[in-house]
Amino acid sequence: MFAPVTEDAARTRTIETAHLLLLLAPALLIILLLFGGGLLLGSLQALGSQPFTEKSIFTFAHFIAVLTDPDFATSFAMTMYIATVSTLVAVLASVALAISLVRCAAANRILHFFLQIPLTVPHLVIAISLLFLLAPTGILSRLCSFLGMTAGAASFPLLINDTYAIGILLTYIWKEIPFITFMILAVLKNSGPELDDAGRTLRANAWQRFYHITLPLIAPSLGAAGFIVFAFTFGAFEVPYLLGRTYPMVLPVWAYKNYADIDLMARPEGIAIGLIIAAIVICSLLLSQGLMQIARRQREYPG
Amino acid sequence: MKKTLQLVLLLLVISLTCQVDKTQAIDLHKASWDEIVQAADGQTVDWYMWGGFPAVNTYVNTYVAARLKEKYNITLRQVPVKDIAEVVSKLVIEKQAGKTSGGNVDLMWINGENFRTCKRHDLLFGPFADKLPNQRFVDWSKPSVYNDFGTPVEGMESPWGSAQMVMIYDTARTPEPPGSMAQLIDWIRQHPGKFAYPAPPDFTGSVFVRHVFYHYSEDVNLWQGEYTQKQFEKAASATYRLLTELKPALWRQGTTYPESPVRMNTLFADGEIDFSFSYHQAEASRNIQDGLFPPTVRSFVFDQGTIANTHFVAIPYNAADTAAAMVTANFLLSAEAQMEKAKPDVWGDFPALDITRLPRQQQQQFIDLPRGPATLSNQELQAHQLPEPPSEILIQLEKGWEQHVLKGR
Repeated sequence: MFAPVTEDAARTRTIETAHLLLLLAPALLIILLLFGGGLLLGSLQALGSQPFTEKSIFTFAHFIAVLTDPDFATSFAMTMYIATVSTLVAVLASVALAISLVRCAAANRILHFFLQIPLTVPHLVIAISLLFLLAPTGILSRLCSFLGMTAGAASFPLLINDTYAIGILLTYIWKEIPFITFMILAVLKNSGPELDDAGRTLRANAWQRFYHITLPLIAPSLGAAGFIVFAFTFGAFEVPYLLGRTYPMVLPVWAYKNYADIDLMARPEGIAIGLIIAAIVICSLLLSQGLMQIARRQREYPG
Repeated sequence: MKKTLQLVLLLLVISLTCQVDKTQAIDLHKASWDEIVQAADGQTVDWYMWGGFPAVNTYVNTYVAARLKEKYNITLRQVPVKDIAEVVSKLVIEKQAGKTSGGNVDLMWINGENFRTCKRHDLLFGPFADKLPNQRFVDWSKPSVYNDFGTPVEGMESPWGSAQMVMIYDTARTPEPPGSMAQLIDWIRQHPGKFAYPAPPDFTGSVFVRHVFYHYSEDVNLWQGEYTQKQFEKAASATYRLLTELKPALWRQGTTYPESPVRMNTLFADGEIDFSFSYHQAEASRNIQDGLFPPTVRSFVFDQGTIANTHFVAIPYNAADTAAAMVTANFLLSAEAQMEKAKPDVWGDFPALDITRLPRQQQQQFIDLPRGPATLSNQELQAHQLPEPPSEILIQLEKGWEQHVLKGR
């Protein structure tokens, strides 16, 4: 009695999967060709193959050269610092924002609209805006000086091209908060207020309700979004290039510098750095995917 | 039906061979100029060039193309590329594959490192520059013309224009700017935090480092000929020592550098720093015109001169329309074409000609060209030109700066 049904279900599922694959094929093809192809060609070059010349030798020398360079540790630490701090701050702020947004449902629409603005603005634009806003001769500094709060450009704190990468962190945080917020908001809305209300009837206080109800609910999605943001900030080039210090530089900027070097022999090292970045980014995305799976399962079989 | 087809094919073959005959009938190395112009009639020139400068594209596609068609019945096709190095590596492959004729590229806009690669791998047709009638207006004794970043030109490319580094300052803030590199260094020490240069390998930052390097060279022309590594090391280490020692007196105490000349210009306009500089002699005027700089901004060159380079056109060894490419190169050097190019609203590029060699009336036209308030006169600029050092020196300096000055090792 049951067997045919499951078989049917299985068949429909395979048909569905095939259908889905067919629909995704054009996009997949492009991604595989451009991204996969680039990754493959890059790996070949980083491993010593030089197209169009006969001097191809298989070697790990470029990777070894990069990893043993004294700059690698500093660059890696710098990149890790920027990616971790901006992700953590964005995650914390997003949780607070999402929870308060779900509560004040009435104002939702306007708030939603405001939240969507950062999503649509490119990182580059925000980086340039912050440059104008926060530079020692920027708008904020001029305003402070005009109000008599600072003595002039020189006494305004350094926020751009500074040691702690504050300008870069601000750009990323501003940009990623809405992204993470929307991810959690979807979960919170789906689950509805019932669990929270149940908690309330059991006299759980706000902190207890958050810690025992909301947090477990959103944790997988929050983690997934966090790893996506981490992956992005770890591999992004333009913001640190514009707002960072000339030295030490983050890994993507270092990779670019080597790749664009007038000396063609520096290229394989640039690609090797790029591949190291890609490996870390892919690991982060895999973790994110894993958490997404958990979140999905949780939604299908709550509790 | 079959017969007609055969006939058509036959005609096609004949016409094709005729075309081949027409170009190969004359030996371009020996032919007279008239014969070359005749052979160029009806040919199409595919000109590969960096396409990132709209003013240049417009100049080439409208003015140059129209005049070539009109005067010589030559069709000019501009092929914009991101980096001419791509074309050079394509030629390397074609050379290896033994493709000696019928190449796609007839003309290339080129200089420096790419020219060196081309010359080293025998990728160019020539020498042809001395065949062009308009060469008589070029001052070939000038180091920045007979040497292209230290590589002897030897007629393998024809000059098209040139650019020169100028210092930019605001008369309202700095009434008496330093006149030499030595004075500039003193000025930087006396005015901490008011000077910056873009971090090499940025093109503009790199040329500043080369000026410091020249300051510590006993003879600038030494680098154009035979020099020893020891001589280079001596001037280079003095350069790194000075730039390291100057760091505390630089903008932000040298902890960071502007990432581009655009950023340096912004810092200058905002009054964070008191000087800017550019490898385009008319940049200050243009920025005044665009409202980016105050009208009190002016430019100057050092007494010892500033670095200038010439940009050229070259013809690949396997070009299909060599004759027309030569006629084009010659036309580009004509007083008429150089004049149009020098107009500030067209491109504002520096003439490749020595204008004193032109007829009096044309000389006057060049002198009368509107220059913009902050641009120096051609005479003043040309009297203060230093050649670029060879590409090897440029690369070594950039690497050395990064090691010693930026990373302090």
